[in-house]
Amino acid sequence: MRRLLWLLLAVLVVAGPSGAGPARPRMAMILPGVIQDADFNAVGYQALKEVQSTTGVQTGHSEQVAVADAERVAREYLGAGYSIVAFHGGQYLTIVQKLAPLFPDATFIMESSGQIPNLPGNVWNIGRKFYEGFYVLGVLGALATRSNKIGYIAGIRLPDFVASLNAVFQAVGKYNPRAEVLYTFVGDQNDPVKARQAAESQIAAGVDFIVISVNLGTVGVIEAARAARRPVLLTTFYTDKSSYAPQHFTTSLVSNFGKPYVEVVRQILAGRRSGYYEMRPGAGFGLTPPRNVPPEVSRRVQEVWRAVVLRQERIEEVTDRIVERR
Amino acid sequence: MSWELFLDPSLLRLAVAMSVPLVLASAGELLMERSGLLNVAIEGMVTLGAAAAFLASFAAGSTGLGLLAAALSGVVVAAVFAHYAVAWRQEQVTVGLTLYVLCLGLSSLLYRVVVGVRLTPPRVETLQPVVLPVVGRLPVVGEVLFHQHALVYLSAAVVAVVHLVLFRTSLGLRLRAAGENPVAADTVGVDVFRLRRASAAAGGALVGLAGASLPFTLTGTFTEGIAGGRGWIALMLVIFGRWTPVGAAAGALLFAYVEALQFKLAMVSRAVPPQFLQMLPYAFAVTVLVRAYRGARAPEALGKPYHREARA
Repeated sequence: MRRLLWLLLAVLVVAGPSGAGPARPRMAMILPGVIQDADFNAVGYQALKEVQSTTGVQTGHSEQVAVADAERVAREYLGAGYSIVAFHGGQYLTIVQKLAPLFPDATFIMESSGQIPNLPGNVWNIGRKFYEGFYVLGVLGALATRSNKIGYIAGIRLPDFVASLNAVFQAVGKYNPRAEVLYTFVGDQNDPVKARQAAESQIAAGVDFIVISVNLGTVGVIEAARAARRPVLLTTFYTDKSSYAPQHFTTSLVSNFGKPYVEVVRQILAGRRSGYYEMRPGAGFGLTPPRNVPPEVSRRVQEVWRAVVLRQERIEEVTDRIVERR
Repeated sequence: MSWELFLDPSLLRLAVAMSVPLVLASAGELLMERSGLLNVAIEGMVTLGAAAAFLASFAAGSTGLGLLAAALSGVVVAAVFAHYAVAWRQEQVTVGLTLYVLCLGLSSLLYRVVVGVRLTPPRVETLQPVVLPVVGRLPVVGEVLFHQHALVYLSAAVVAVVHLVLFRTSLGLRLRAAGENPVAADTVGVDVFRLRRASAAAGGALVGLAGASLPFTLTGTFTEGIAGGRGWIALMLVIFGRWTPVGAAAGALLFAYVEALQFKLAMVSRAVPPQFLQMLPYAFAVTVLVRAYRGARAPEALGKPYHREARA
């Protein structure tokens, strides 16, 4: 028995901490929806896995975290020793502003529609310039529509989506002033039933090109387009969903959150605990080759895209109100 | 804005299509409540029905199998509910709420196990409209009522059958007696327990089918929260309809119409905040409920466990 105890003790000593060096930091990501949405949350999760495989940082995540629960969830991660906490979604800004000063040893990563001033010194800010990409989607709609009615369907009135709608207005006003933009905020990014109803209403009003700005709600819009009695073209964003309805999709504004997150985490590991990274066309946002449109429309849209990437196309960012332009 | 906006055939056609989950769920709930069972797990059952339908159809490539899976899921959950409520005489609201939460979690779990994480959303084929001969050619009415998918016609048939069974057959009389005065019914030889279990099974199947209508007719996929509160609305519709299938169906059509109308109004009226329009169907539901509840008489034994031994 004594021999067995000595053997056990020896095993524990050998298998114990090697003392080879400090443990790798741990990073948590808080997501507003489910990671199997094939959309915003899926690309966030994908980015997290890319961070893990690229930098060696251990990761964890929580899904379907409402804003009201985000502080509690974040505190649990911080209490469990996570030194980097990322919030994948623009709705968590106030949570970060509250927690960062309370946990000065942790580093926070947040997303917003642009650079937020006066952030604490342990916060990285990823600014997402969706509106620049949506401007190009608006150009595509302006050039591809035959009924001169373009629809825009979004969920909640976040600054990102208001700015994107305003960008669509600008694009249509410049490239097809005769066209009209009909927009609907359905109140939920992830309700396909409401999104379908909104799409059906727009299609009944004559819309033949819909710029989709909802997440899971996209599938509802797709079904409305499939059920329509005349051709309806669609765009989407975050991921390429063209395989869902190949005859309806024109292009997708795809996003690669892996790039900013890997870069930011590398900076954090190198000791830089705050900064700003801007995601925009050409830097995290890409455009799939337009389809189901005439070749000259496709060529023109890709020219505009290149101009936007090079900042040669002037696009006004308006986030606080909808500026309808005719 | 003209009055023609409110009678637009496309709006009316959409309202009829959107009413299907409400009609089926309220018919199922009605059957249960008429026998004395108050089922508040309905929202969870609709969600589980949607998940079962989608996953079965996705795995097997068959819509029929999906419908069967949805109905079975409703039957199973209702059977569990009935066992707790009838055999063990537990508090029905408590059991129902527990099952509601269980169904929500089970739906998400099943979806994740079968589908997993992917960047391309999985989908199934949705039902296409079936134009009925002769009546489908009627102006306006034909387009609104008879250019619909099969589940619309099924829901209309369900309403008719439930009405006939409840009010024109001895089975329906016994079932209603079990819900009004189980003691008296038991005295004359009505098997109250068996009837309640049977009504739960039948009602559960209809609620499951209500869930199936969401992926098969509207979305082509399953998402968490797909029920969108339709189970709770169906619960309200039973009261609105004074526990009659035709009344509940009429309420379902009305609610679906207001729900569809909000998006039309959102496009034509920029003066009204969209947040107000989004709450319109629910404000309507609350207003109607307050009004409809006056004079409404629920089955006397609704929600009350039946103690055969306690009647002496």
